Amino acid sequence: MKKVGILRFPGTNCDRDIWKSVELQSMQPEWIWYKQSFLPDNYDAYVIPGGFSYGDYLRSGALAALSPAMSCIKEAAKMGKPIFGICNGFQILCEAGLLPGALMRNEKGLFIDQWVNLKLENSSQWSPFSVGQIFKMPMAHADGRFFISEEGYKQLVDKGQIWLTYADNPNGSVGNIAGVMNEAGNVVGMMPHPDRALFSWMGSEDGLEFFQWQDASGVNQ
Amino acid sequence: MNLQDKLNLYRIQPNEYDRICELLGRAPEGVEWAVFSALWSEHCSYKSSKVHLKKLFSQSERVLQSFGENAGIIDLGRGEKVAFKMESHNHPSFIEPYQGAATGVGGILRDIFTMGARPMALANYLCFGEPKAERMTELVRGVVGGIGGYGNCVGVPTLTGQTNFHESYNGNILVNAMAVGLFQEGDPICLSQATGVGNWVVYVGAKTGRDGVHGASMASESFDEDSESKRPTVQIGDPFYEKLLIESCLEVMKEGLVEAIQDMGAAGLTSSSFEMADKGNVGLTLNLDSVPLRDPTMTPEDILLSESQERMLLICKPEKFADIRAIFEKWGLDACAIGEVIADPVIRLMWRGETLSEMSPKMVVDNAPMYERPYNSWQPPQKTGKVSLSISNASEVLLNILNSVSGGSKEWVYRQYDQRVQSSTARDCSSPVGVSALPSGRALGMVLGCRPHLMRQSPYAGGVDSIVYPALELASKGFEPLAVTDCLNFGNPEKPEVMTEFVSSLAGMNEACAAIQTPIISGNVSFYNETLHKGVTPTPSTGLVGLRENLDNIPDSDLSCDGDIIFLLTFSPSQSTGLAGEMFSQKAQLNYDFDLSGFKSFLDGLRKVTSANCVRSTRVVGNFGLAYTLARMAIAGNRGAKIECDQDYFAEPLYQVVLTVSASQKDQAEQAMNSNSLRWQKIGFVIEEQLQWNDLKVDVAALKENYEGSWRKAFPRFP
Repeated sequence: MKKVGILRFPGTNCDRDIWKSVELQSMQPEWIWYKQSFLPDNYDAYVIPGGFSYGDYLRSGALAALSPAMSCIKEAAKMGKPIFGICNGFQILCEAGLLPGALMRNEKGLFIDQWVNLKLENSSQWSPFSVGQIFKMPMAHADGRFFISEEGYKQLVDKGQIWLTYADNPNGSVGNIAGVMNEAGNVVGMMPHPDRALFSWMGSEDGLEFFQWQDASGVNQ
Repeated sequence: MNLQDKLNLYRIQPNEYDRICELLGRAPEGVEWAVFSALWSEHCSYKSSKVHLKKLFSQSERVLQSFGENAGIIDLGRGEKVAFKMESHNHPSFIEPYQGAATGVGGILRDIFTMGARPMALANYLCFGEPKAERMTELVRGVVGGIGGYGNCVGVPTLTGQTNFHESYNGNILVNAMAVGLFQEGDPICLSQATGVGNWVVYVGAKTGRDGVHGASMASESFDEDSESKRPTVQIGDPFYEKLLIESCLEVMKEGLVEAIQDMGAAGLTSSSFEMADKGNVGLTLNLDSVPLRDPTMTPEDILLSESQERMLLICKPEKFADIRAIFEKWGLDACAIGEVIADPVIRLMWRGETLSEMSPKMVVDNAPMYERPYNSWQPPQKTGKVSLSISNASEVLLNILNSVSGGSKEWVYRQYDQRVQSSTARDCSSPVGVSALPSGRALGMVLGCRPHLMRQSPYAGGVDSIVYPALELASKGFEPLAVTDCLNFGNPEKPEVMTEFVSSLAGMNEACAAIQTPIISGNVSFYNETLHKGVTPTPSTGLVGLRENLDNIPDSDLSCDGDIIFLLTFSPSQSTGLAGEMFSQKAQLNYDFDLSGFKSFLDGLRKVTSANCVRSTRVVGNFGLAYTLARMAIAGNRGAKIECDQDYFAEPLYQVVLTVSASQKDQAEQAMNSNSLRWQKIGFVIEEQLQWNDLKVDVAALKENYEGSWRKAFPRFP
């Protein structure tokens, strides 16, 4: 059974939600405490859940990015391991320099919880793969406005690193960006929550397939 | 300081002072003043309400824990239980809205996880003044920000709420928060009674600071011009710390390392230690100099009365302390032993090797004053015949209502709350009933009650309504109401007219609970909600929890498919001129033609129909009557309706429910309503684009535009 490491920081609060999501894909979730060090090969993939690591006190994700577990994640990223950050997890990956851009306070300065439609712009190593497909899922954040310099944005476009965009921009993100990937396509991050769209009774089950990936040789997992 | 100044400072009445002297056999000294001030405050002792609360209907087969602990617990069967409670934070929120509301959320969460339950849902009941009232913009923004800021960070979804506006709250807003926690199979229930002589008293969580000193007695007093000067008594919350406390406390409880546990809420260390010892019939020594402090110059009195947030007191066997400390350390928190359980039934307060005070907890807690405050005789409202509103141009009136702050969208409020963290939300704040999925695959429903405009018409009928209206909302979605928590917000209990409101509304609530066999299992009383001698509308807010066997086919609340049949179920001919009457300054009328004893079978019948998979949508006819209810369903589903019904557009029936059913399921639905003896009529069907009912004709787009534009109109300065 594939093993997925789920990072937990003080203040992570979607950890149990990711656990459920991973189990639904018949994979084995395991906790990784932020103080822990590990070898990249200990797990088949890594997920960094949402929440308020360190209370978001300095800057969302800034302190978590400096933890021992994140040093190991950097190693794993270099080796091409699939790594997925959601919401605060996305912020942490940006702060750690594993993903381009930064996440800033929403345009109107308020926390927003609402349903959004997302479009897959480019496929990454993480599922889903059909470009152009639309997914419905919730977002819930105050610091989710994706920002990048004009030049940086051009590079994202050129290199196909824009992963997901909002159909209707809720927070003022540059280029309607909801999720990006690194150049290699193994590290991805998104602000909306696929972990909250797993069953029709939740309002959508579009999030379920986000918890699968292709390994380096292109085999679906 | 002379005696009168001391009595003022500690907010102790002269007759209470005499009683203290009698109990001690001498005058109180040193920190004893602080102890009595806290534990004999209205907030901690319930001295004006206790006599009446004892009469509440509080038992059913499902009740595992009722009043007396941090929260009530009910058994859901299949190994699942829930703990829940509601509490007010009105005074702090008026003084400092963001922190006041935030710490209200923090406090109610601690009441829940203290018992061993994992917090799974939050709700909040808010009453604000008119938007144009002084400070109201700041208060609304601050309160909503504080609730969101705290709840979102601790990772507990907000599933439902209610936001009311009325001038009676201009000088005293209400901020009530409810929390629900889940026990899964095997999770221990932890109580607060201290046991085991020789066991250690352990302090965990945040360090003690000067915030909130005298908070409990502040909350037991009315506001005057000088409420600003009370700002230092408001506590500051840290939701990040609370999240760590939740995880660590649940872990030590699950590992069986704890004998008893209690959070430090109102009156902090004083109330938690005295109450724990009193319940366990033991004594405690407390070394106040071992309490971790934010400021080393704090005095023993400051330490005893501090209401610093995110702190817990627990009792453990000495040999378990190392394991406990290791778990708290893992989460980055301190745990330190500050005392011991002793056989001598006294609380021995120690400071640098010296005994400051030695008092029996029983003497202090059990002898707290209990007042039978005077009230006037009162009568339930009477049958008066048909109620009517004289309103012409129904279309325009409907649009005006939708465009008002009371009738308009509250989305600005709830979209600042995380409604889906924990991945178990099946219905969010946009639905009349919040729904969470239980691990067993069943659904837990949650809804708040109390409609202040009915309280203004009749506290008795309003009290009945604060139970039966939310119960009906639950049943309309196929949920069986299981139990109630309440938060009784009233003015100054020393005024007989306020006490009359209190007694009569409680009578209404109690009779309603007994009639539908749904017990009140926890709650809170907040008196002295008045400013400059003007009291708020009596507001006994309630929170009801219900259970449904499955998550599928929960009826929606909209008009969604052209051709669907619209039915109207009616319980009684009772009616009120309601909110529309208030809004258009008409004479308030209430025809109370009501048989409470028949309500349970109506409720059960409705629930059977709405869980039979033949109903598409339901909505209880509520504020502003049938036209408004249909308009809300139209806006939600972006569809119109053609209605034929002989009834006032805007008067409020007690009670009616709208049901929509697809044409193909019409027969099945009619049969279900008949076999459950429900009184129903077919009033129309769903069409595209327009709401049509006699001379009322409005496009759905116009309904929507007015509904959605209301908030911006009321609060133009908000982002």
